Amino acid sequence: MPLLQLLVRRLLQLIGVLAGISLVTFLLVHMAPGDPARLLAGERASAETVAAIRSQYGLDLPLWRQFLTYLANLLSGDIGLSLRFQRPVIQLIEQFMWPTLFLTAYVLCLAIPPTVALAILGARRPGGIADQIIRLVGIAGLTIPVFWLGIMMSRFFGVSLGWFPVSGYGVGFTGHLHHLFLPAVSTAIWLVPVLTQSLRAALIEKTAADFVTAARAQGATERQIFWQTMLPNAVLPTLNLLGVMVAFMIGGAVIVETVYAVPGLGTLMVNALLGRDYYVVQGLTLVFAVSTVLITLTVDLLTAFIDPRVRL
Amino acid sequence: MADTPAPAIAAPSVRTVTPVMLVALSILGGWLVLALAAPVIAPYDPDAIDILNMLSPPSAAHWFGTDQVGRDVFSRVLFASRVDLLLCVAGVLPPLVIGTTIGLLSGYFGGLVDTVFMRIYDLTVAFPFFVLVLAIVGVLGPGLLNFILALTLVGWVSYARLVRAQVLTIRESEYIQAARCLGYPPAAILAHHVLPNAIGPVIAYAVSDAVLVMLAGASFGFLGMGAQPPLAEWGVMIADGQAFVQQAWWICLFPGLAAISLGLGFALLGDGLGQLQRRGVTA
Amino acid sequence: MSGLRNGMPPLLEVKDLSVSFGEFAAVKNVSFALRPGEILGIVGESGSGKSVTCRAVMRLLAAAARAEGSVTLEGRDLLALGEDELCAIRGRDIGMIFQNPASHLDPLRRIGEQVAAPMIRHLGITRREGLKRAVALLDDVGIREPEKRARSYPHEFSGGMKQRAMIAAAIGCRPKLLIADEPTTALDVTVQARILHLLRDLNRRTGLAMILISHDLGVVADICSQVVVMRNGEVVEQGPIDDVINRPRHPYTKLLIESQPGRKTYGTADGPDGGKPLLSVEKLSVSFSTGGGLLGGLGGGGAFKALDGIDLEIGAGETVGIVGESGSGKSTLARSIIRLNTPGGGAIRLDGQDIGALSGDALTAFRRRVQMVFQNPYDSLNPRLTIGEAVAEPIWRHGLADRKTAQKEAEALLEMVELPASLYDRKPRQLSGGQCQRVGLARALSLKPQLLIADEITSALDVTTQAQILELLVRLQRERSLTLIYISHDLSVVSSLCQRVYVFKAGRVVEQGVAQQVLSRPQHPYTQALVGSLARLPAHTGTISQPV
Repeated sequence: MPLLQLLVRRLLQLIGVLAGISLVTFLLVHMAPGDPARLLAGERASAETVAAIRSQYGLDLPLWRQFLTYLANLLSGDIGLSLRFQRPVIQLIEQFMWPTLFLTAYVLCLAIPPTVALAILGARRPGGIADQIIRLVGIAGLTIPVFWLGIMMSRFFGVSLGWFPVSGYGVGFTGHLHHLFLPAVSTAIWLVPVLTQSLRAALIEKTAADFVTAARAQGATERQIFWQTMLPNAVLPTLNLLGVMVAFMIGGAVIVETVYAVPGLGTLMVNALLGRDYYVVQGLTLVFAVSTVLITLTVDLLTAFIDPRVRL
Repeated sequence: MADTPAPAIAAPSVRTVTPVMLVALSILGGWLVLALAAPVIAPYDPDAIDILNMLSPPSAAHWFGTDQVGRDVFSRVLFASRVDLLLCVAGVLPPLVIGTTIGLLSGYFGGLVDTVFMRIYDLTVAFPFFVLVLAIVGVLGPGLLNFILALTLVGWVSYARLVRAQVLTIRESEYIQAARCLGYPPAAILAHHVLPNAIGPVIAYAVSDAVLVMLAGASFGFLGMGAQPPLAEWGVMIADGQAFVQQAWWICLFPGLAAISLGLGFALLGDGLGQLQRRGVTA
Repeated sequence: MSGLRNGMPPLLEVKDLSVSFGEFAAVKNVSFALRPGEILGIVGESGSGKSVTCRAVMRLLAAAARAEGSVTLEGRDLLALGEDELCAIRGRDIGMIFQNPASHLDPLRRIGEQVAAPMIRHLGITRREGLKRAVALLDDVGIREPEKRARSYPHEFSGGMKQRAMIAAAIGCRPKLLIADEPTTALDVTVQARILHLLRDLNRRTGLAMILISHDLGVVADICSQVVVMRNGEVVEQGPIDDVINRPRHPYTKLLIESQPGRKTYGTADGPDGGKPLLSVEKLSVSFSTGGGLLGGLGGGGAFKALDGIDLEIGAGETVGIVGESGSGKSTLARSIIRLNTPGGGAIRLDGQDIGALSGDALTAFRRRVQMVFQNPYDSLNPRLTIGEAVAEPIWRHGLADRKTAQKEAEALLEMVELPASLYDRKPRQLSGGQCQRVGLARALSLKPQLLIADEITSALDVTTQAQILELLVRLQRERSLTLIYISHDLSVVSSLCQRVYVFKAGRVVEQGVAQQVLSRPQHPYTQALVGSLARLPAHTGTISQPV
């Protein structure tokens, strides 16, 4: 089975990438200026305390030994301890991840239908008025700073009109939907143009594809050609881009969550950065990277499922 | 010759400038002039505090109003354009130069350089771009210089990947084989034959990338990880104004619009260049 | 085949068909008729409007195209039909197959489904029944294990099998007419012969009428009873195939016939001078790993042997042909001789010296002695350089002259390949394919080499252009006493040009000898198949002098 082969090979690749990710996150904290032991001990600790902490955490060992300890900890599910909260990072992530996941799914639900509709509308008559407008508005959409849009929207829809709450996560499913509407829309406004451009370009490319001509020569109607031949072939590149974008969004959540004060991973990240809580930064970076890898893997498998030519 | 005569369609010059690109160039040119002439144009000192005139709405005296300490928003937007324009250049050029060099070598020679590069690439794309830059800046310490450093550290990879992909195709083309067969030195082949044919899409990408860099710069300013107050920078200004947005929407609105217009300049130019590239390829 | 069943009403009648794209008139007042059971060939070079004509018949042209005139299929004017009626005719009454079967099959759907789709659409049968008939059709068009193959995807098929599948899809609804647009151009010669045989067989068995579009008069002469010759959008001549070939009236038709490969023997230079060979290749092997990359599809992994123990010798002043189909290793040999790839075993010697060991000045000297002209006219020139710069570059890079003098020498070289001075400042994309190949020749000769390798240099060109380039090549060879290695898939071209020939198959030499002998009395079964596959004009048409 090619699919199984693919899976095994990708999993092997995955191990390499994961090892690399752990090395990068490990080095990340070691890049920080200053003495980590001093950081752990606090600003006012005595030299003896710092020295004690240094040997307690193994910070006096050579770098490679420290890395091995870090790896061993990772394998046992320990991704560090927050200095500020004095809690394991993994617990913090469990606590903060739901709003981020909810927001991501919400954005996708809001973004995909207009993407498909706009791309089809534009590709139907390439270079036509509708297409030009969609393209230019799309380019403009890409240039809007998400945090600025967030502030402006919360000021207008939230404060002036009072339609939507401007911060927080809400209670219950509908509460989440209500509270996260503005954050989701601000992100979608940026995501839709990117995806639309990709799908539109793919559709236009497939319009001129030889196999479309062949289907027409076999008497297929334009409707059949579009749904059975063009769309399935055009969707692949966009699917890949969508994977990249979802990963990007999880990262970009940092901004949106900060603007709308959503208690998600992004907010946790920014607070940890500002509070120099390096182990939380490290743990979060690790988690973000691993999710990105998993998303990419899912997209690759999905692509392999749709496209029989894919073997890697 | 009975052979089809030279295609009558006088091959469209790849350097043709479309109307959209003209608009883009005038936006960018306009900002460049404004940034250079900021000290002359600006009606006020961008950092002059005027407690008597805080949070005053746009008026003839203060076109864009004043902020929470009475600084003139218009003057600050003008001065901030110097920072943001510089940011675009400083955030794009180093990754472009480093990435192109490594991409050329990696794509043309393959071997160990290529293997090492591809592993670095795989690893870099495993991190969400924004998170990695943020983490590096956070660890190095907030500030514009560290932001540019982090951007370069992460950003060169995309350029290298793009150049490498171009070079892999060009390397197989017969004019490169001919050049090798004619005994040209590798450096000459790379500089004279590979690079000129590979660079087009890279330039188009770099221009579009400038939008991303500017937005990232503003976002970092907003988060307090980039430019540091009281330096006037659009993201910082928006962050400053956020707390007062209920009473004084103008503090946030104008820097945002400025960012959008500059971004639009780059985005339209990048789009136009990209289209010319594609047309050049099919022609 | 009966070309003269005059009593029957025509199946398809095209009258005064004109097609224009904006200002450009692609087809001008074309008229022809096709009777049931007939095979009509439309022959012409690129830009002649032959494909546009047939796409206009099927109404497959882009929206920007305007078609005028009438196209009548059994009394119905196709140009006047609405979209619905058109869909009912396409695939049902008229089937169509295309030049590049690989790109005309949907890569995401199984072959069986694609063959069944027109039947399900037009005949109102169930999917199950459709798939069953698709298997039978695949069997009909000569695909082995049709049931298993119906479940395959297009990328798992070879080029010839894809074209067979396309044919199966086109004939499923038992159409009255099949339009075949260059159906064999992308295929190897032996595969081409089999596909043509299949088409002729279909015509005989089922009385299916066909229009065969081709640039190759030999292919048309092989299976058509009527022929239409087109040039620049106009019909220059039409009639029964024998009449047109034996008694061409229009000068262009005559030129076309003259230019057919193998019609003319190009007097080559003197034979080998009997001394030591200039170039000798000993037990040369080249392998590519198939772990990934471009060759990933071949074999099950490990290494793919592109060349497997090749021995050959070429004397100074000789013209030697290398013939083989795609994948035979002939281009790999060329690349090994100019050191673009590293042999896995064996040696290549120039004047007895192993070229693999060369480096520094010796390598530079070698580069000056051995040069190559490449296959693709546009791809072989740097699109950023003017042709003058491209030809001058080797001269100044090798320090043979300063840049200014080099430019002068380049102009002389371009003049030598018969390019007008007005073209010196043009970029390659402003030239025709034939002109680009002339530039490629000039560039290769700029270092005054002793040995010239020409790798499929005419395969991307029209036949009349090919004939001109071959004449030029022979002239240059004589003037500059070049040793020439001419690589081609086309045995007839090679034998008309070369003194000796090596036949390659799957990385090995299967036959070698004097060119004319190999062509007339092939020994090895593969060479025999190759010779048998040559789509040549009927032998009785005389040799060079044409009856007028």
